[in-house]
Amino acid sequence: MNEVPVAGIELTVPPHPEFLQLVRAVVGAAAVSGGGTESPLEPGRVADLRLVVSEAVTNAIEAQSAIGAPDRVLIRCRVGDDKVLVEVMDHGPGFDPDAVPDLPDVETPERLRHESGLGVALMHRLADKAEVESGPDGTTVRLTIRPS
Amino acid sequence: MQLDVLSRDLRPLDASGGPTAVVLTVLGDLDMAGAPSLRQAVVTVVDSGARLVVLDLTAVDFVDSAGLGVVVGALRRLRTHDGDLVVVCPEPRIRRVFEMCDLDRVFALHRDVDAAATAMAGRALA
Repeated sequence: MNEVPVAGIELTVPPHPEFLQLVRAVVGAAAVSGGGTESPLEPGRVADLRLVVSEAVTNAIEAQSAIGAPDRVLIRCRVGDDKVLVEVMDHGPGFDPDAVPDLPDVETPERLRHESGLGVALMHRLADKAEVESGPDGTTVRLTIRPS
Repeated sequence: MQLDVLSRDLRPLDASGGPTAVVLTVLGDLDMAGAPSLRQAVVTVVDSGARLVVLDLTAVDFVDSAGLGVVVGALRRLRTHDGDLVVVCPEPRIRRVFEMCDLDRVFALHRDVDAAATAMAGRALA
């Protein structure tokens, strides 16, 4: 995060799905309130922000569940004048972001065998910038959301 | 409670008393936390003999890829049993998530349960 934010929040949650709703609510509220200044995002983009944060934290929870890591997931949200920046950090085993397989074509029967695999694609599609740093000690996802 | 699923039988889809559809009404957030409830509800109605399911997402406040995954799994389960599933999704922000994942090409998205039932009746009679 290169620019000084106007306002921000930081929270950590246990790696359990029950905390997803809380994370979305807190990050969404931070983006709407803008730390007391006018929010840089219109309601539709706040909805996009809530969705990409949910995807990132879901991936974090899944990653830690895979190895039974009880560490809390860290979420940072910084609200700037013209964008919102979010970081999600987990303590999972890491993965190769370039090795995420493509899903079969949506109109083929094979596609119905895949119930997961859309999260990373959604993050890249909705965020203006989505960066993934991953290693054996965990993964950090950095998302930038600007007004549409 | 983050997600609840209500089940009810729909009227017979044709005057001859043919197949009856089940409506699953989902309330709350359809995410990783809520997904198991919907998955279990689908398993329950299919195990009880339902083959046509209307999935009503009118009262869903939020859906992400984990939620969409369960809907995909529900369709697969029903088709495995020669059944089918249609989706009621009038809310643009929920519909948009389906569209972004191209799943509007897989599921017929209807504005209300009546429209979904009519479409399903057409398939059942075809």
